[in-house]
Order: sequence, then C-alpha cells, then structure tokens
Amino acid sequence: MLFKLAFRNIFRNFRRTLLTMFAIAFGLGVLLLMDSMLTGLDVDSFTKVINYETGHIKIFQRGYQEDVKNLPLDKSIDMPAKIIDEVSRDKNVEGITSRINFRIFLSDGIDQFPAIGIAINPEDDTNVFKLKQAVEEGKFINKGEEAMLIGEGLAEDFNVGVGDYLTVLTRTKYETYQALDLRIKGILKTEDPKIDWAAIVIPLGVGQDSLDMGKAVTEIDIKLKDISQVDKFRDKLAKELTGLEIMTWKDLAEDVIAISETKRGFSSLIFSAVVIIALIGISNTILLSAYERVREIGMMAAMGMRRKQIRRLFIYEGALIGLFGSIFGCLLGAAMNYPLVRFGINWGFMMRDMGDIGYRITGASYGVWRLHMFLIALIFGVVVSAIVSVYPAWVASKMEPTEALKKA
Amino acid sequence: MPVANMTNVVKNYRVGKVEVPALRGVTVSIEEGEFSSIAGPSGSGKTTMLNLFGCLDQPTGGTVFISDRNVGRLSSNQLADVRNHNLGFIFQTFNLIPVLSAFENVEFPLILLKQGNAKERKEKVMKILEDVGIGDLAKRKPNEMSGGQMQRVAIARALVKDPKIVLADEPTANLDSVTGEGILKLMKEMNQRTKTTFIFSTHDQMVMDYANRLIHVHDGKIQSDEKR
Repeated sequence: MLFKLAFRNIFRNFRRTLLTMFAIAFGLGVLLLMDSMLTGLDVDSFTKVINYETGHIKIFQRGYQEDVKNLPLDKSIDMPAKIIDEVSRDKNVEGITSRINFRIFLSDGIDQFPAIGIAINPEDDTNVFKLKQAVEEGKFINKGEEAMLIGEGLAEDFNVGVGDYLTVLTRTKYETYQALDLRIKGILKTEDPKIDWAAIVIPLGVGQDSLDMGKAVTEIDIKLKDISQVDKFRDKLAKELTGLEIMTWKDLAEDVIAISETKRGFSSLIFSAVVIIALIGISNTILLSAYERVREIGMMAAMGMRRKQIRRLFIYEGALIGLFGSIFGCLLGAAMNYPLVRFGINWGFMMRDMGDIGYRITGASYGVWRLHMFLIALIFGVVVSAIVSVYPAWVASKMEPTEALKKA
Repeated sequence: MPVANMTNVVKNYRVGKVEVPALRGVTVSIEEGEFSSIAGPSGSGKTTMLNLFGCLDQPTGGTVFISDRNVGRLSSNQLADVRNHNLGFIFQTFNLIPVLSAFENVEFPLILLKQGNAKERKEKVMKILEDVGIGDLAKRKPNEMSGGQMQRVAIARALVKDPKIVLADEPTANLDSVTGEGILKLMKEMNQRTKTTFIFSTHDQMVMDYANRLIHVHDGKIQSDEKR
C-alpha cells in the first residue's frame, strides 16, 4: 500500500517530478557517455600500444629503462637468439621478435625533424606486432632491404611519398655519426601518434649494420596466447632470465594509464557536481512534497501510521523518482552513446596541434557499450535517491499530528 | 462503562517563552455508545480535549485513559498503535488522500491494521460504503466528489475498523446546512447501529442538538455537562 501510495504521490506535481527526473537522467546520461568515451579511448590506446609499441612483454638489458629516454644502444642484449629460442619454446608464447629503437634526425636536405628509428625483423615482427597491416600505401619492408616505412604524419611533414628518399642521421653504438639514405617503401597509418607522427621503420639487419650493433638488439618482444597471463609470465621470466629487465605492456604504457586516470579523475569531478545538483533536486522535491502535504501527514499519523511508516513513504517516493530518472538516464545515455559507438568522434583536427598527450589517438575514437555500467547507473540512481530522501522523510515523520492537522 | 476518561487534566502550551493554559483541571468520563458533543467558543479548550482523547497529544498533568490504557506515558509508537486499534477520526476538511479512490481511502486503515486479506477487506469496505450511502462512488477520487460525499467517505474510513471511539472535529463546518444535517443523521444512525462512541468538538448548534450529551467548556474548564 505504501508503495502504491508513493507511486501515485510522485505524479501529484507532475512537472516538478519530471524536472527532477530529468536532472537525474541528465547526470546519469552524461556519466554513461563519459564512461563510454573514456573507456573507448583507453581500449583504443591500449590496443595500439600493444599492437605497435610494446607487445605483451618486453625484455631489456638491465639498466635500459633507467635511460630509456635516450634509447641507449650500449645497453643492448648481445645474444638475443639464445633467449628467443628458449622463450619461444614456452607453450604460452604466441610470437616473439626483437627490435632496436634508436634516436634519429630525419632530413630531406632542407628540413630536419627528430624522430625514432625502429629496426624490426620483418620475418617475425608480424607475430607480435601489426605494423604490416598498417601499411596504407606502398609495401612492407623485407629482410636486409635498404628501405624504410614512415609514419604518415612524418611523410606529410616532409611532403614525401612511396619511392622518395630521406636521410636518416643517427649515432652508432660507439657514438660515431651515421647517415643513411633510405627509400620510402611504405607509409604507415597506425593512428598511434608515436608511430604515425614520429617513427620510421627499417629492417633489423640494416639497423644492426648501421648502428654497429653486431647481432645485438635493444629489446625482445613477446606476444602471449592469453594476455591475462602477462604478470604471471613476467614473474616466470624474471626468475629464468636473471640480469635482464622484464616488463609488461602495463609497465610500459604508464603514460597512457596515467592520462587515463587523470581524465577519469577529472570526469569524476564533473560527474560528482552533476550528481550533487540532481540529488539536491530530489531532496528538495521530497521536502517540498512533505511541506505541501502537512495536513495529510497529520491525518495519516492520526489514523495510526507510525513515524517509520511515514518516513518509508517519502523514501519510497524519492527512490521511485530515482528509478524513473535512472531509467530515463540509461535511455538518454544509450541514445547519446549510439552515435559515439557507431560513428565515433574525430579528434584529428586538434590532436596534432596538441602533440603527444598520452592517448594513442590521431583521428577518430569510438565509444564502447558497457552494459554493466547501465546496471550500476540504475542501481546507483535508485539507492542514492532513496538515501537523499532520508532527511526530508525524517522532517515529515517528525511533524506533530496536532500541529500538522492545524495547517491550512 | 467508560471508554475514555480524563481526571484532573491540565494541558499547557508554550507559545514562545509564555506558558498558555489550554485545560485547567478537566475531569470527564465518556461512556460506551455515547453521542457526545464538546462545545465552546474558540480557544475554550474543546479541540485540546479532542486531541487528548484522540491520543494525538499528551496531558501536562492528570491522567487520560482510553480503554483502560493510561495514554499519558506512552511513546509515540504506542500512541500510534492506540489510535490505530481504537480510534477513528473525522475532520472538518475531510482529509482524504487525494491520490486514492473512495474505496482505497476506506481500505487504508485496514491495511495499516493488517486486517484481513484483500477479499475480506473488499467486502468490509464495500459494506461500509453502502452503509454510508456511497457504494456507487467507490472508484471515485476525492476531487470527483462533493463535500458531503467526501465526508461520508471520511465517516466510512473512521468506522471501517470498528473503533471504540470516533472523534470528529467540527464535522459539519465545511458543509451547507442540508448536507451537514444529512451527515449528522448518518453518524447518529451509525452510532445507534454499531454502538460506536462518538465525540464531537463543535460550536454548531445543529450538532449540539443531535448530541445525547453536551459538554460545555470555557477557559479550559468544564462549564456544564448535560446528558439528554
């Protein structure tokens, strides 16, 4: 009966109830949209980090990470073949390869830009990374070929295309200067700014020769069959390969995780403000409703309704407004999220100007459907609405029947 | 046999820093089945007496008994239970719940009492609605009824749980004289049929004329107590 009464009561002042519901719906709709967008950015960024930069696990020479900003060639793994052979036998490993990362200046004779050189083994790089699939124009490089792949942003900067030549200026392991004239064989479009805007890719053999590395590499990259096993596998490798640094993609994607957490923190602040406004709205609606129904409360008390039953009636009213507001919020969230999932948001117009902000996005990012978030939003809306109705319900239940019945 | 009893009841109200006496040592006993009226001018203390009999308020001094229970020392929950089980109320402004139909308004006290199942409640509510002459209005909401019809619903609501006492605060004040008399006749008839005790507060001469006991209060004291 109390529930039926509460349900009918919330429609007594339909416009006020509707406005309150809209406030909740708006708050939750924005929450769901933000969650979808940020999760989309995270998923997209993490996928690109894994597919183009880190694989699942990397092995470095001890001390490499301390100096990682300089991409030191002297902290290299000198006998990678033995390690690759051992690790690749593990049944958890899907693919393994090795790379050299090195700092370069790229020049067309007029302009010169700093960039990163990545020397890959074209034969097995595809077992770990997806650079081959990201060749938008031209072809993938072959073993020993004096050619390079270039990020499309860099290609645009130099206004070059497939078949053109650029000069790669770098220093060898022994700090001597080296210059290579390499033909552009393919243009990479990964939508990862670390690649598209700042990297060239050359065959490992060419890199080793040019950099005086012998057979050495700066990293060994591993892809596991099951990504959820990375921590376990890292620990296992750390025990087996003493003297080397083993890092998972999560350790290496700290910048993405940090930006993700910062954005989420900032979004939480905005969301909290919206929710607080909505909750004040509910509390106010229930309080107004209590003050408008003083005589009725007096009458119900006179009929023998206990204070806790009166409290419960008003809490039900708040919870019901929360429920309907939350349902509308979920519908609004779904309606706003649909185009985000289907068409995405193109950040391209601002991302290049903003530079490297951590997210691996150069163009469009897409939302994701996280149905459990809709359920959480629904429960959150109802529970919190009920909680903020406790105070007005308490005010209503504290009214003295004799005083309440006197009110006009 | 008395169903309600006041002995040396004093009731003071605090208005700001001033203590205002509303009742100054009232002793009165209401017998079962009486159709009593407490009359007096505004501020005489008649509503205070009704509130004390209705367990809506507690005395500053003296004792109030309802069905052998001293209500002066009960907690708010215990008072609510006494009201729930023993008392029915009829108000000047009807005080029906606007979102409920006539049927649901009358059913409400039975649900609070957890009395009977839905079928039993329906039978009881429909019977009392028929008794007060509005069986055909059961589905109407208060805003679809006249003042007289609403007061009949209120009477049915007060009587449906078979209370020992029905307290009516100026029940005809918001009705025209013809409708008011109809309501009084109905209450008298219900009083005779169910032997339920009725206590009114009023300054309406017509209500006083219908009462079989007239208690006059003035300045918080009983001025006269006349049984007819």
